[in-house]
Amino acid sequence: MSETQAETQAATQQPKLLGARVTRVEDPRFLTGNGRYVDDIALPGMLHVAFVRSTMAHADITGVNVEAAASHPGVHAVVTGAEMAGEAKPITCDSLVPTWQATEYPALAHERVRFVGEAVAAVVADDRYIAEDASELVRVEYSAREPVASIEAAIRDGAPRLHDSWEDNFFVKRHFNGGDVEGAMAEADGVLELDLVSHRHSGIPLECRGCIADYNRGDNTLTLWTSTQIPHLVRTGLADVLEMPENSIRVIAPEVGGGYGIKGHLFPEEIAVAVLARKLGRAVKWIEDRREHLLACIHAREHHHRLQVAYKQDGTVTGIKALLYVDCGAYSVYPWTSTMDTGMALGILPGPYRIRNYECEAYSVTTNKCPLGPYRGVARPAACFSIERAMDEVAHAVGLDPFEVRRRNLVRDDEFPYESVTGLIYDSGSFHEALEKVCRDGDLEGMRRLQEEARAEGRYLGIGFSCYTEQTAHTTNEFIKRGVPIIFGYDTAIVRMDPSGTVLVHVSTHSHGQGHETTYAQVVADQLGIPLESVKVAFGDTAATPYGHGTFASRSAVLAGGASLRAAQKVAEMLVRFAAEHLEADPGDIELAQGKAFVRGSASRGVEIADLARWAYHRPEKLPDGMEPVLEAVSSYDADPGTGTFANAAHLVLVEVDPETGGVKLLRYAVTEDCGRMINPLIVDGQVHGGVAQGIGGALLEEFVYDENGQLLTTTFLDYLLPGATDIPKIEVTHLETLSPFTLEGIKGMGEGGAIGPGPAVASAVADALSPFGHVFVNELPLTPERVRKFVQQATGNAA
Amino acid sequence: MNQHHEVRLNVNGTEHTVSVPPRKLLVDCLREDLRLTGTHVGCEQGVCGACTIIMDGQNVRSCLMFAVQADGASIETIESLASGPEDLHPVQQAFVDCHGLQCGFCTPGMVLAAKSFLEQNPSPTDDEIREAIAGNICRCTGYTFIVDAIRTAAERMAGEEAGQHV
Ligand code: FES
Ligand code: FES
Repeated sequence: MSETQAETQAATQQPKLLGARVTRVEDPRFLTGNGRYVDDIALPGMLHVAFVRSTMAHADITGVNVEAAASHPGVHAVVTGAEMAGEAKPITCDSLVPTWQATEYPALAHERVRFVGEAVAAVVADDRYIAEDASELVRVEYSAREPVASIEAAIRDGAPRLHDSWEDNFFVKRHFNGGDVEGAMAEADGVLELDLVSHRHSGIPLECRGCIADYNRGDNTLTLWTSTQIPHLVRTGLADVLEMPENSIRVIAPEVGGGYGIKGHLFPEEIAVAVLARKLGRAVKWIEDRREHLLACIHAREHHHRLQVAYKQDGTVTGIKALLYVDCGAYSVYPWTSTMDTGMALGILPGPYRIRNYECEAYSVTTNKCPLGPYRGVARPAACFSIERAMDEVAHAVGLDPFEVRRRNLVRDDEFPYESVTGLIYDSGSFHEALEKVCRDGDLEGMRRLQEEARAEGRYLGIGFSCYTEQTAHTTNEFIKRGVPIIFGYDTAIVRMDPSGTVLVHVSTHSHGQGHETTYAQVVADQLGIPLESVKVAFGDTAATPYGHGTFASRSAVLAGGASLRAAQKVAEMLVRFAAEHLEADPGDIELAQGKAFVRGSASRGVEIADLARWAYHRPEKLPDGMEPVLEAVSSYDADPGTGTFANAAHLVLVEVDPETGGVKLLRYAVTEDCGRMINPLIVDGQVHGGVAQGIGGALLEEFVYDENGQLLTTTFLDYLLPGATDIPKIEVTHLETLSPFTLEGIKGMGEGGAIGPGPAVASAVADALSPFGHVFVNELPLTPERVRKFVQQATGNAA
Repeated sequence: MNQHHEVRLNVNGTEHTVSVPPRKLLVDCLREDLRLTGTHVGCEQGVCGACTIIMDGQNVRSCLMFAVQADGASIETIESLASGPEDLHPVQQAFVDCHGLQCGFCTPGMVLAAKSFLEQNPSPTDDEIREAIAGNICRCTGYTFIVDAIRTAAERMAGEEAGQHV
């Protein structure tokens, strides 16, 4: 290439931002204390709410006396469930699955309470301190009913019903039968029977929930600022329950201090606060405290699985029969329904393995506990725990290395796209390579040496790994199959270039840690040939952003990223057309780069994009015939063929167990993940780290404990333990990039994945660490010191 | 209980006198009376560290104190560290460069904890960094990049120091 050619190329090309390790543009405002979360907003004349919450798990409300509270100085209103029932319909969210039984989740309970912490009355006062004082003066009389505080209590014969019109205590009963399970069992060399339990825990964002409602009586408009992942769906849900026109409601999600799925719901408290603002004609604020959050927000991941696993002596798994119970708590949650966890677990349990004979019965159970909802990974942490622990047990049974057993069962590269026994389409993946790479990059050999040395010193080190594939960016067909009432298939973006040539992208998703202000800007800047600094991304305000579903299910990068890309392409086409006219060139020869539109190969024949933008708005006579002056485009994106795209990963962990105390310390943690093309590897790493840490929390520490009366015993961070910096080791992440054939740029979702692998990997490592005592099937999470000591005893007993 | 008390606070170099009821928490006083909303509340139980401020040179959990107990104290909050996005403190800049934050909610407390730790221990090991921030919960990052950020800040600040002595 001649020097001038090289110069021309440098001037007319722009290094791609897609794929670059760009630091986040949103960071400075958070680092300087300028992030604006809902509790940072103060409106003139704003009042404050405290909720009175049920102290009983299951009871009839026989009376509510609000007199003392209402006459307390500084109190503006006390509202009970009976009054609320006249103002707002209960939350209903119905599944289309045939066995579905529905619930009505009221904004404030009246007539009956179904879990400890359910809101029964609301007090509005000048400040939160006064509201809390007065809330203690509200007298609620209960007539106790028998509590149903566990899956066992809910499913036994003669169990009391939580919901009067129901036949039993199942939200939904599912059954799937594919291939020939009976044949596989009959021809197997062995069948393992395995029980697995994942206890209840949750996402626990560091910012609790909170909202402010303001109502304008003049034009009947309601504005709700709320810490949510799904502002548009909250608006739709509110319009339904409040019976208000949706165009009179504006929902604004400001900065959100962590969500992880937990803030992806319409909550009773949001409805109650909206009703109170409407009643009083004043702004009303509620900020959840931590105790309320632990009692009454959203719990997750309480799964009991029973598997029968048919295997051959060569380690291949030939069939699985599964019986799954999920404790979904008292009510179905909006917009997911209580079918999510059983549906997902049933569908993905065979995981990345070639298992063609599979039968599954799955039950979503109602109990007198806090409602269950989606949390990072939704059901897949439990499903992965089951199948991965099964692989380890098969390895033990046939006397093979667990690595080798996985290798023999994993779907091979030449089988993609692979249709699983449950009909999921694994579009592409690197199941074998990820497992091999994590063993290399994480230094499995070195770990083995350390383990040997430690054993010689009487210390117990263990190595565990896990593999998974994760459906991400679930699109239209997938949700239709699940029978959910709202099909979360697409998301939407508007790309708008203003007269000065800077760009504002409005998206329907919400970023609360995922860095969309950076990643979407990377995507858009590439398309328009402008610098990253010229693109701003905004979200959260339903009055400004196009309709869409929000951020959950590892979908935003694929769907809203895809929508941003497409909308930017449309704006780029406008610029190209305009530039071609101006430069008297063929549109096919125009390139956008470095803030200019060029004729390909000729650096001197170009025009500033900022000039085109200015002219497009202010000098419309320069536009080509028929071109409209506004440089703006909207696009929504739903990746064909609507079955989602599957990311995959392998995790490897080294732990040390103290058999005396039952303490487990993580020494090393390595992940090899494959999410297709990465928009920004720095952000991908951060998401993996965060997911892994949450997975480790669920594997070792975090558990909601209810007693047999349905009282929650873990209502502070002293009882519900979160992992701190000394609990989490350095997490090493390496990447593979197997592109999706189904999505723009081959991008796959990855926000949740990190949280799926740690449970089984840690359990497997603990079992390995205890192997000098004897073989033990580690089947319960979290591995608290007490449980670990139990497993030490079992191992010793098994050996004897 | 509702009788108000006058409390004098020096916050980020400015003298304030606020009138608060005796039970008002220091964090609420900072956030509501002084509108310094960079100090966050994650638990009100003294566990999460989101409400960390520096008071008379010490890290303090402002959810565990009443405002009246801080009468006469000098307080630094996150708002004091930088005048704007162009002028970040080395700890803040290192958090950007190492992707040490996601949702940002723990971040002000984490940055202040890191800053005062590095003043006491300018060249820490990774284990010491982890110990130092063990009382600040981050639910988003898994800590790996936070540790990287604090180590990077320490190295850069040591470099600046060394530079000044040449
Ligand atoms: S809010 Fe003070 S420690 Fe959590
Ligand atoms: S960045 Fe979200 S809690 Fe730390």
